[in-house]
Order: sequence, then C-alpha cells, then structure tokens
Amino acid sequence: MSRYVELAEQALHAAEGDEAEVLVQAERSGVARFAGSVVHQPTLIDNAVVRIRIVRDGKAGWAATNRVDREGLTEVARRAAEAADGARPDPDFPGVASPADYPEIGGYDEETAGLGADDQARLAAAAIEAVPDFELYGYFSSGVTELALAASTGLRAQQSLTDAVCLCLAATEGASGWAEQSAWRSTDVDPAEAARAAAETAGRTRGAVELEPGSYAAVLEPYAVAELLRWFAYDSLGAFGFLEERSYLCGRIGEQAFDPKISLADDALDSRNLPKAFDFEGTPKQRVELVEDGVLRGVVWDRLTAARAEDGQVSTGHAPADSWRYYGPLPMALSLAPGDAASTGELLERIGDGIYVTRLHYLGIVEPREGVLTGMTRDGTFRVRDGKLAEPLVNLRFTVALPDVLREVPGLGRELKLVNLSDLYDERYPYAALVPALATARFHITGSGSGPGL
Amino acid sequence: MRVYQFRHQRAKASVARVRVRDVKALAEAAVDAALGAGASYADARAVSLRRQFVITKKGQVEDVSDTESEGIGVRVLVDGAWGFAGEGRLDEAAARDAAVRACAFAHAAPGRHDTSLAPVEAQSGEYKTPVERDPFGVPLSEKIDLCLRAEEGMRHADVKVTVAMVRAQREHKVLVSSEGAAVEQELVECGGGIDAYASAEGISQIRSYPSQHSGVSGQGGWEFVEGLSLDGEAPRVGEQAAALLRADECPAGRTTIVLSPEQVVMQVHESVGHPTELDRVYGTEAAYAGTSFLSPDDLGSLRYGSELMNVTADATTPEGLGTFGFDDEGVPARREAIVEGGVLRGFLTSRETAARIGAGVGGSMRADGWSRMPLVRMTNLHLEPGDGTLEDLLADVDDGLYLETNKSWSIDDKRLNFQFGTQIAWEVKKGKLGRMLRDATYTGRTPVFWSKLDAIGGRDAWRLFGLTNCGKGQPGQEAHVSHGAAPARFRDVEVGVSA
Repeated sequence: MSRYVELAEQALHAAEGDEAEVLVQAERSGVARFAGSVVHQPTLIDNAVVRIRIVRDGKAGWAATNRVDREGLTEVARRAAEAADGARPDPDFPGVASPADYPEIGGYDEETAGLGADDQARLAAAAIEAVPDFELYGYFSSGVTELALAASTGLRAQQSLTDAVCLCLAATEGASGWAEQSAWRSTDVDPAEAARAAAETAGRTRGAVELEPGSYAAVLEPYAVAELLRWFAYDSLGAFGFLEERSYLCGRIGEQAFDPKISLADDALDSRNLPKAFDFEGTPKQRVELVEDGVLRGVVWDRLTAARAEDGQVSTGHAPADSWRYYGPLPMALSLAPGDAASTGELLERIGDGIYVTRLHYLGIVEPREGVLTGMTRDGTFRVRDGKLAEPLVNLRFTVALPDVLREVPGLGRELKLVNLSDLYDERYPYAALVPALATARFHITGSGSGPGL
Repeated sequence: MRVYQFRHQRAKASVARVRVRDVKALAEAAVDAALGAGASYADARAVSLRRQFVITKKGQVEDVSDTESEGIGVRVLVDGAWGFAGEGRLDEAAARDAAVRACAFAHAAPGRHDTSLAPVEAQSGEYKTPVERDPFGVPLSEKIDLCLRAEEGMRHADVKVTVAMVRAQREHKVLVSSEGAAVEQELVECGGGIDAYASAEGISQIRSYPSQHSGVSGQGGWEFVEGLSLDGEAPRVGEQAAALLRADECPAGRTTIVLSPEQVVMQVHESVGHPTELDRVYGTEAAYAGTSFLSPDDLGSLRYGSELMNVTADATTPEGLGTFGFDDEGVPARREAIVEGGVLRGFLTSRETAARIGAGVGGSMRADGWSRMPLVRMTNLHLEPGDGTLEDLLADVDDGLYLETNKSWSIDDKRLNFQFGTQIAWEVKKGKLGRMLRDATYTGRTPVFWSKLDAIGGRDAWRLFGLTNCGKGQPGQEAHVSHGAAPARFRDVEVGVSA
C-alpha cells in the first residue's frame, strides 16, 4: 500500500460521521520558467494536501489541510465535521462511492519522476540553446502527482501520475511563433524540437498586416482547436451547464449539429493522453462519447449531478478537483477524432482562401447557450491564398459560435497532438487535449489587435 | 481576468484557523541556510492561510468547506539568478532544505543573469487588517441562512437556478530577508455574491450582484458582508434575470456608452492595470499572460486617455484586497499616480524592475500563498472620480447605451484590442433610460477608447470592488485586487459585436 493511501486511511480514522471520504493529492514538481532566453522564475514545489468530506445526518462538509501530522489530521477531521453539522441535508446526495475495480493504465514514468532541479534547468537550456536567433519564452516543467482515496465504504484508490511539458514562444520585436510538447514520459518531450518549431513559425511572421473583419475559412492548429474546445466545454459539455440550461446541448441531444467528420470524446483512459484511472471521488474513469459523427450525444457526470438528473444517468468518472467544483464535472481529457489530411498543407489546399491560426489568447464566453466565444489569435496568424500560406497577419479578434465553426469542416489532420491545458494553478493535476489540426469553412473575425512579437 | 487577467471564475473551498507558532525563527533559518549555500540575497515567507466557503444553489447547501494551507517559500539570488522553493512543512529542517534547493535551482538556471534590486530601507513591523467581527467567528448557520434568504429573494418562474455564496479568508505571513527586513502581517477578507440564471425558449441569461466574479470581497470583518445586503438586492436580481429573456438584443453600431462602476473597474483592470505591470513591459509574461503596448520610454509622455483620466495605485485603501503594510518584498505600502491628466506617470514595479527602469522602489510584489514566487501584481488600482451623478452622465446622452455588470471579457496579449460584454444594458434616449437590452458587447483599442472618456461620476458615485480571480504567472497565481470607480461615459464606441 502506498504511503499516500496510508495517509488517507489515517485521516479516515480521525473522521467521525456516518460516511467519510479522504482524498490525498501530493505534488513534487519543478518549473524552469524562462523569458528572454533566461530562466527567471524557477519554482520548486513539494506539498501534500488532505481533503476530507464527512457526512453526518445526511449533511456533508468539506475541509482540507496540508498539515499531515497527527495533530493536523485530527484538526481537519474536526473542521470537516463542523462544516457538516453546519450544513443542511441534500436529498440528492448519493453517498460516497463504493469500492471499484480500476483499469490498468499508464501515466507514470520512473525516469520522469526522478527529474530534479538540475534536469529541469538542463531541459530548459536545451530549448533556449536551440534557437539562437530568437529569444525564447515559456517553461520546461516536470512533476509527480500522487492521488489516493480512502472512504468509509471500503473504497481504496491510488495513482501516481507524471508529466513533462515544454512550452516555447520564440519571439523578437515584430515576430513570434509558438510550439509545445507534453507527455507523461519526459523522453517523449524534445525541448529543442519544440523551440525550433516555434522559431520556424516566428520567422514567417515579420511584416504582419491587418485583415478586414468578416467570415473566413480557416485552418486551426491543434493548439487553437484544443483551446476552443476547452472553453466550449465549460458550459456545454459538463453536467452543471446541461442541468442548468446553459449548455448548447440542451434540447439537442441526438441532433446532427456538426459536420459528420466531427467525433469528440472525453477519454482519460487513452495512454496517448495523460491517463487517469479514477476521478476525485473514486469513480472509475470512462470514455464518454460527446459527439459522434457530428451528432450530439451527451455530457460528463459525477455522482451528485447524475443523481440530480433523475433520468437514470450514472457518474462517468468526472468528479472535479476542489478548485473546479464550481464548474461541476468537466471533460478534462478531450479527444477529437483525426481526419484524413496527411498534412497541414493539405488542409490549406482544401480551404484555398482564408486564414491560418496557430494559437489563441484570452478567450471569453460571450453567450453560453449558443456556444459564442471571443478571443484573439497570436504567435503565428497568416493569410491563406491559393491553398498556401501567404502574408502574416496581426493578432485577430474572433467572435464565433463554436457550433458554426464545427458545422462545415473541409477536413481534419491525420496526426494528433497532445496539447497541454493546465495552467498550473492550485495543486498540480496535469491534463491535456488530444486533437488534430482542423479546417473550417467559417471563422468570424471581428477586429485586429496588436502585431506579433514583443 | 483569469490569466494575466481574471482567471475564469472558480470557487475555491477554503480554510480554517491560523496556527500560532514561531515562524519567524524558521524564516530566519531559511535565510541563513540560503546565504550559506551561496546566495547573495535571500528572503523567506512563512505563510498560514485559512479559507472558508459557503455556497447554496437552488435552495440547497452546495458547498460548506474550510481549507487551510501553510508552508514556507524561499527566494534566493545566486550570481544574479533567481531560485525559489516552496515547502509545505513548517519545521526548521524543511525550511533549510527549501533554501538549499532554491540555491541549487538558481545555480543551474541557464542564461545570462544580472539581476539587481532597487535599494530599500529594511523594514520591521506589523500590520493587521482592522476587523470588527471575525468572519470565522460567525456561525455557519448564519452564513447559510443569509445565502438561502438571498436565494429565496431571487425566486421567479423563469429563474431556473439561483446561487448565493459567502467567503472568508485569513492570511498570516512573516517575511524575513537577508537585508534585515522582518515584517509580520495578518490580512483578513470576506465577501459574497448572488447569481440568478433564467432560461426559456432556448435563451439563457444571468444576472449577478455585486459582480459576476464571485461577488465582491473586501478586507475587514463580517461587517463587510453585512454591508452588501445580498438578500436586499436579491428580488431585483431575480426580476432582471427574468426580464432579460424578453429583452431585445443589443443593436450593432457606434454610439455613446455609459458604464456602471463595476464595468469601469473591469476596464481599468484589463486595460490599465495589466499593461502597467512593469514585468510585463519587460516581457517576462510574454509566453502566457502577454506583454504590454507600453514601453519603459513611455513613462511621463504617453497619452493614455483624455485629460479626465486619473488612475492611482493605492495599497492603503481601506477595505481594499490589495491593502497591506508591506508587499512581499518588504516594501512599505504606498499610493502613487499611474495616469495623471491622461498621461502615463507610473508603472507597477518590483525592486528588480524598479532598478531596471531606474525609478521607484517597487511595492507591488505579491505572491499567491507560500508556494509561489512573488510577481508584480496590482494592489488597489482606482479611476479617480470626477463630478456628478449617473443621472448627470446620462443627461448628456442623446442616443446611447448604459451598460451594467460584466459578463464576458477578453483583451489581446499587448492589452490593446479588447471586447467586453455586460449582463444587462438599457437604451439611453435624450438623457433617459429606455428599453432593456440583452447580450450587450463593446470593443475598442485601449488608448483610443480612453481618449473618448468625457465624463466620470463624482465621489458619491464611486464604488470599491474587490475581485479574487486575477490570474498570472507560471505556475499560476491568483491575486486578490480591488478597484474603485464611478460611472464613466465614452463617446463613439463600437457596440453589438456578434458571432
């Protein structure tokens, strides 16, 4: 038994109530953040958090601490009980999860777990030294995340996760390009290659010009695709948005809403992603079909929202971390099926005339029910003419209804890219989307912003 | 504001009581260990943080949570390179270990390092938030009752979901530096907010009070929450959410807009606060949060907006979430002009960026808990008031819009092109509010937009809003910041942007 399960059991023993559930989330990580080709914010973190949920007389309360000695565990159990006593019974509360069998998945690599500060600095240096003609901005980070659960039902669960990420912005005045690599094995991340890819894009962005607002066909790199799907998911692909009538999927399940080429799932069991065996209440992860051949199929659920649905829903293994509880269950391993385009060049040929977007910036939800999002392009936006990349463009403001973007899709790339989606807030919990490049017939540009580069 | 900006709203369940122990000795041990490991400068922050959240939704208690976190963060300079390590155990061995690991990371950090710090007199002292009623002493039942009462007040046939939230936080921190700084602070804050989600016939609308961004918070005791009158405002919030379902969509075009104080605050945060963070100007957030359209040479000469535009950074504002005795580098709280008469007069700085630009001494360095390096952050950034009331501002609008309560927000990586949406708007015709409008948006470019500012409400109309979701940095950090503003009027603005 891992020491984190033992820790969860110790906390469980301190809990007094009708039911209790303990989650331990531990992190040992390093972030070698660089700017101007200099590591300027190197951060090492070593921490373990114990979260207890206690149920007394049908009332649930939560408390958490990172004091993991006997005194700390006793105190956190007392505070969770106090929170429960102060709460009110929730008639929908389904109780804590029962023991379950968990799938054997990957997601942990000893070599990645063993990386220390010297290694993280060395791998950051590999990226920096690969692009002498540009200044490099971004980070190399690796870490180990430990998840352990123990519940009064007898449930025990444990998983060790590793992740390595290299984010690269190659930039100078008036030019910038972006590339990244993420994996749960650090040997699958090549910082120099990511840096060179960023520099190659940056090299083409000098002399960017503005673009008339309007609707354009577009080829979206996987970075842009992942970001659009992430923001669409907040209201439309989780149980809260669905139950509370903010989701685009409300009243549309079974509808052919998107191009038949679009099949979207959430699949944390896929070893090409950053695989997870269970969610934050110990329910085994399931692959969930969200969209099949353009037909809307459903959203993701945890135990409470499934109980509230009152139509036979069951948890799909998407109970969120503490810091995401406000959003409810969300798909955090999005997987968009690939298409048949052998290359980005082929996607460009399919749209003929339009724009090419590498990466997006600062998205916002304008109108959730119709999936309307706004944001900016950045670090590699180009005009497409005659099926080829043409002049570079300044950063463009887009305001799109994502369903419109996905309604007519001339093609998707054959190759899938794992795109990091964690911004490393709160306790480390690596997650990413596995997506191809995508060509759309419609991408609505509503303005021009600043130019590329610094 | 999520990201460099406001992080997309997230509710963080949070904490318990601050533990009393001699953390200063631990911080001193960490600094000693860092100097012994080759650091030329070191500081250590020992932090204990407790947060409590109560959330009710649809008449049920959704979340009652109480979270605490404690640890020490050690920051070092070795041969001009920064290193930082955070350790979640508060004991001497852990503190020393963090110091040594921070030095090792700094040693290994690639690049040409030449960090220097603006000189500042080493401070010693204490600061405590004035509190009348300890928010952690308020019974949970009282907090839940308030939330449920507010929810009840929002009830309406078309309102499908109601949410009420109250929160409390207490942070105790000790900072010790190798230059002799030794300061101890206890910052207490609390807040709350309510939301009503209405939907019918495929239309979904939200109305919030006092803001959509987890309500508002302020430093102080429970009296701050009591002053919000969440239950008193609830009926209006519910009725407006329902009325929005039948409102017309905001038309497109160019027109005069009057913004409510809460929306002006968002405009100040995104288009003045972030671009004047000097670390962004120097590019250290380029990969994530972005940079700035400003350059160091713009100081004292760049015309940011009209002559009515006066923006002040003030870490001494009563009830401000950015109020403290000392920032996380030990620099005393100060009030300084950022924009005066429409001209850029200051940046938000750290000791490092102040040394680089050759002006100021820092004072805006803040860290999110013990496990993150301090970054240049906003403290309390205000648009100073002008004259008159909201009615006075509207009276001089022949044909325009009044927009209230932020709903969506986005701005480019240099903080130039922005687009905001508000929850509700009204037509303004011949100086009077007319029909209600939904899905209102407006867009512009920062200096052009601020040049169109032609009226600001007076001191009586000026309001302070504390927001808890300002994101920046990698690993990510959330800062709690406040902004004050009165209603403001802008001419010739593009509105009604749609997909």
